[in-house]
Amino acid sequence: MAVAFRDYYEVLGVPRDASSDDIRAAYRKLARQYHPDVNREPGAEDRFKEISEAYEVLRDPEKRAQYDRLGPNWKAGQDVSGAPGFNGSAGYDNVRVDFGTGDFGDVGGADFSDFFEGLFGGRPRGRTRRGGGGFEGFGGRGFSGRGSDQEAEIELTLEEAFKGGRRHITLGDGRDYEVNIPPGVRDGQRIRLAGEGGRGVGGGPSGDLFLRVRLRPDPRFRLKDRDIEVDLPVAPWEAALGASVQVPTLEGNARVNVPAHSSCGRRLRLAGQGWPGPRGQRGDLYAVVKIVVPKRLKKQERELFERLAEVSSFDPRKGS
Amino acid sequence: MAHTTIVRRSSDPIEVRVLAREAGIHPDLVRRFVTLGLLDARVQPRDAAAILARAARLRRDLGLNYAGAVLACELLTRIDELERRLSRYEPR
Repeated sequence: MAVAFRDYYEVLGVPRDASSDDIRAAYRKLARQYHPDVNREPGAEDRFKEISEAYEVLRDPEKRAQYDRLGPNWKAGQDVSGAPGFNGSAGYDNVRVDFGTGDFGDVGGADFSDFFEGLFGGRPRGRTRRGGGGFEGFGGRGFSGRGSDQEAEIELTLEEAFKGGRRHITLGDGRDYEVNIPPGVRDGQRIRLAGEGGRGVGGGPSGDLFLRVRLRPDPRFRLKDRDIEVDLPVAPWEAALGASVQVPTLEGNARVNVPAHSSCGRRLRLAGQGWPGPRGQRGDLYAVVKIVVPKRLKKQERELFERLAEVSSFDPRKGS
Repeated sequence: MAHTTIVRRSSDPIEVRVLAREAGIHPDLVRRFVTLGLLDARVQPRDAAAILARAARLRRDLGLNYAGAVLACELLTRIDELERRLSRYEPR
């Protein structure tokens, strides 16, 4: 089986003759940068595992010596499977015995590369807690930990968030879920998928996956706390004389009475037609009067408006 | 709030054990982080285990001491919150 060579020195960005202090400093710097708890970029976790694997080898003089015996001329990605000193051959069987104890069966195979396993015959052995650095190794004996929490974004329209219900989502890495969206979910709220985050190590529990809700702005409805606002276009005569008109809501249409003498901006309340609250109580819906004038006036309409202009003494700039 | 009692009564060995199991860490580590104020009253109890696990990972992987891990955790939580607020003002 072809096994790709890993250049651990290159991964940590140190020369082959780097001191153990240099190696530790390089690891710490990269670990701070790519630790999945710190860096949410996709790929950061894989990079962190690479860095951890490189450090696991280079910080241990025995493992480093064994790795160095492969020679300095390998390039990352080259097939190393037939090389002397690889795959536990050439007198390194004792290493296999050391590592291949089967303790790591439940750790999950993704943590260290085939290259690492081919070279050392198993996943890393944990160090004692009192070791020089803070790193105990992935899946090491004597350490277990819960996997990291992950966060993804889920974008919902106002209608979807209002109604809630099941929804199918696919994450960037191909995982997909049927998610139950609670009705009335709000912007920024997190939906927790327990145990769907990063895998734990050493038998520790998995972390959680959080879906952060992002509400897509709606062209008609504006959400203000638990109240919803919607523009209500009315004709000038409806605003002046009053009318019963249709108003859109998130559940369809409702009717509202526009009282006579309504000016632009008047808010007509539809009690209990707003956003769902946590204990069943709902906010209100406000229809905001917006007087709209026809783009073109028919002859008779124009005449009537002209007539109105003649007889009316109303001056909106003087106050009403 | 019923929530915070989990945190406040953290000397209660049962709660510590539950949290330790959920976070996958040793109960001593839970007590240590709690003493340093990692789970203050603002922490929702359902987030407590995740926060403990995060502090433990940061300590282990980055070579931080306990207080440093608590500080890093608090700062990361604040950054999350700020980024969340900022994202509301940034068009996509």
